[in-house]
Amino acid sequence: MEIAVDQIGSIAVATVPVDELDASNAGEFKRDIAPVLQANTRLVLDLSRLRFVDSSGLGAMVSCLRQLSAKSGDLKLCGMSKQVRGLFELVRMHRIFDIYGTKEEAIHAFEH
Amino acid sequence: MPSNTKRVEKVEKPATADLISSIQESIRRHARYSLGKLWNDLSRRELFNAVALSVRDRLVDQMLETEERYRKDAPKRINYLSIEFLIGQSLGNHLHNLGIRDLYRQALSNFGADLEAVEECEEDAALGNGGLGRLAACFLDSFATLGIPACGYGINYEYGLFKQEIDDGYQIEKADNWLAQSTPWEIPRPDEACLVPVYGRIEHGVDRKGVYNPMWMDWKVLIGIPHDMLISGYGSRTVSLLRLYAARSSRDFDMQIFNDGDYFKAVEQKIASETISKLLYPSDAIVVGKELRLVQEYFLVACAMRDIVRRFEQDHGGFQDFSAKVALQLNDTHPALAVAELMRILVDEKELEWEEAWTITQATLGYTNHTLAPEALEKWPVPLFESVLPRHLQIIYEINRRLLDRVSVTYPGDVERIRRMSIIEESAPPKQVRMASLAMVGSHSINGVSGIHTELVKTSLAPDFFQLFPERFNNKTNGITQRQWLLKANPGLANLISSTIGERWLTDLYGLRDLESHAANAGFQAEFHKVKRSNKEKLARIIRDTARLKVDPDSLFDVQVKRIHAYKRQLLNVMHIIDEYLSLVEDGRQPTVPRTYIFAGKAAPGYWFAKQIIKLIHNVGRVINNDSRASQWIKVAFVPDYRVSLAEKIIPAADLSEQISTAGTEASGTGNMKLALNGAVTIGTLDGANIEILEEVGEDNLFICGLKVAEIRVMREQKSYRPGEYYARNPHVKRVVDSFSSNLFCPHEPDLFAWIPASVLDANDEHFHLADFTPYVEAQEKAGNTFRDRGRWVRMAILNVAGMGKFSSDRTVAEYAREIWGVRGVKGSTLLD
Repeated sequence: MEIAVDQIGSIAVATVPVDELDASNAGEFKRDIAPVLQANTRLVLDLSRLRFVDSSGLGAMVSCLRQLSAKSGDLKLCGMSKQVRGLFELVRMHRIFDIYGTKEEAIHAFEH
Repeated sequence: MPSNTKRVEKVEKPATADLISSIQESIRRHARYSLGKLWNDLSRRELFNAVALSVRDRLVDQMLETEERYRKDAPKRINYLSIEFLIGQSLGNHLHNLGIRDLYRQALSNFGADLEAVEECEEDAALGNGGLGRLAACFLDSFATLGIPACGYGINYEYGLFKQEIDDGYQIEKADNWLAQSTPWEIPRPDEACLVPVYGRIEHGVDRKGVYNPMWMDWKVLIGIPHDMLISGYGSRTVSLLRLYAARSSRDFDMQIFNDGDYFKAVEQKIASETISKLLYPSDAIVVGKELRLVQEYFLVACAMRDIVRRFEQDHGGFQDFSAKVALQLNDTHPALAVAELMRILVDEKELEWEEAWTITQATLGYTNHTLAPEALEKWPVPLFESVLPRHLQIIYEINRRLLDRVSVTYPGDVERIRRMSIIEESAPPKQVRMASLAMVGSHSINGVSGIHTELVKTSLAPDFFQLFPERFNNKTNGITQRQWLLKANPGLANLISSTIGERWLTDLYGLRDLESHAANAGFQAEFHKVKRSNKEKLARIIRDTARLKVDPDSLFDVQVKRIHAYKRQLLNVMHIIDEYLSLVEDGRQPTVPRTYIFAGKAAPGYWFAKQIIKLIHNVGRVINNDSRASQWIKVAFVPDYRVSLAEKIIPAADLSEQISTAGTEASGTGNMKLALNGAVTIGTLDGANIEILEEVGEDNLFICGLKVAEIRVMREQKSYRPGEYYARNPHVKRVVDSFSSNLFCPHEPDLFAWIPASVLDANDEHFHLADFTPYVEAQEKAGNTFRDRGRWVRMAILNVAGMGKFSSDRTVAEYAREIWGVRGVKGSTLLD
């Protein structure tokens, strides 16, 4: 999948380019986000297009977080729909991610 | 149309030409635009659909008005969670409740159609097995009638309870695809779909603050699509909802696999997901260890809780007020996962502290127990539970740890008590999760469903829990809705009652007491008898058409209609029939009165005993019905495919109501109430609600027989039951028992019933058939003699009807509302004040 990445200083802002992130495309997402993770330590994932995520999709995001944490970086999420946010809460993943309403808020959080 | 039908329907507006014309227009519009049919091409079933849709329009208007009212007043809402809702047919109920029956009758008559014939086209919504599901349906009627803000939550099974066919006396089960032709009553709400994760594992980690954070990983997701059925209340402005969830796959199918060419594999997961709501389990007792059933139960609970929490957050503020605005009643243990699910939501999602979440959970939940048999209490193996609901098992472990801490402090050193009370049964591998214990610990109210049942819950089933928190235990004797079971099912009697004492009974069943002063009135008795005779004629025609048997409406209609089960003792009934038959043909002793023994009921497909009983009834019937010596005295009929709509025809025609469960086994029973309300006299044991029926109608007006609960307890404790002594001492007992091994009733299948003597002569016979045989035969003799005196019998029957006030589900629901849910003073509902 084509993941658009904006570089704002040292912060990479990547937009998840699909409506559904699940078992059918989570592997593809992990493969295509890998270069972004290698090149950056501070990443914002913009989920505003995402309408559904399953455990494979969530697992892919956890994997991103772990890779960044391993090199003392961080991942912040933004733009979650109510449904996607609900799923994060349902499985307690909202507690391990830093979650913001908008891209600007997430970038701001990195900067301060 | 019977001319007297109009008398009970004064709630209706005058049947003006304009109203009738608008109804006709509405029906025509739905035929054309909803069904896409030319009027002249409509089948009767399609006409039913068009009529139902036109009625649904009115219900929708009232439902929206009801919701608007609730939104404004923000009342406490009652949520009734039940794995079964045995609704039956709906059109007739709605027409009665909305007071528009005569208008629709006239409108259809103008089309050249007959309302009753159209009503008969409706498939029963058989989303239940028996008493538990039917109770839930009666409660919905009462909620709406009393104006209680309530919502039922259940599963939209694609296949309801199987249809029963009989082949050579054997039950054959046929699938009941009640949704095959779609139902006009459901409104699908795909926009309110919810996601339900299941399976997976817990990953133990820490959150961003370094606090322990168990994450639920690798789950699969189901989607629950709500389908709303509209529930009308009698003469009230309230139309409430029954929200039934259908399971759908999260994806139509995996496109990747599909593109790779394996279409069947691609749809596999979709099919597996949708299986969750495919089938109602056809057992009236417990479904043991079935993974699909556990997923079903969680699916119901998860969908319901998500909807309830969503509505609460929409209408209210913080969760501190949750229990003040939300009550949840668990209809038996099937929805007991609500304890863990609400805790999970409050702790995991809403981030409340455990103690606060626990206080809210307990204050919100109430649990209704429906069974006493320890072996029937629902348990799930821990490995299965952990595989399906790993996070919930963690939560249950923590609930249990805190419970057992409390028990240890309260009863220091009482290790045995701790073992008994633990939610996790550890005695034999694998460990089991005890759902009744979970429900009791997590609820502020634990109720039984009849006085004796509640006492037995306290003293036999859960004495440890009763000692630990006695204030939680209370009784709510079951009830039935008189609108369905008298007004709709028995219009002749309803009209007679209303024209004699007025219509108060429709919303206050205690009003039937006014019939007492008419019980000895010869004119009233004659009218009463006439109605019963007419109902018996109708049932005789049904028996002729379905059981291929001609029966005499002047004979005593002796009726046992209910699930076929050992504890309900259809076998005892059959033993009496055989005794009466053999006394006639071998001893020349004529019965007291000509009788037609009428049975109906389904056996769980995997329940061998019950299926044998059905075969036995047919075989005994075949011998007796074909014996010319017995033809004017005894007939035995088994009416196939017992269901709500058939019950509505059998019950009004019954003279004698068989309620002969082994004392201490029937939690309440509601068939006993329906039959008595329709003027049948009870012959029964002191079990369940029979005891309260006795209290209400007086001992002179029913026939009580058999061992009492305390006597059975002593016999069990002292192991003093010796059925062989009854067999040796009483030649009638011996002859009946021997008839089973003589092949008298199975000449073409030798030894078919040879298991029965072994069973009833076993000192461990749980149901004490031989001990209760003679008292039962004597009570039957007394009943027969009484029936010969028509005046006396009819007076008894009238006094039974008059004494049924207590057994309205309006009274039951009002008690739940006042004493468990804390709901009072809904406008116009005096029962709640």
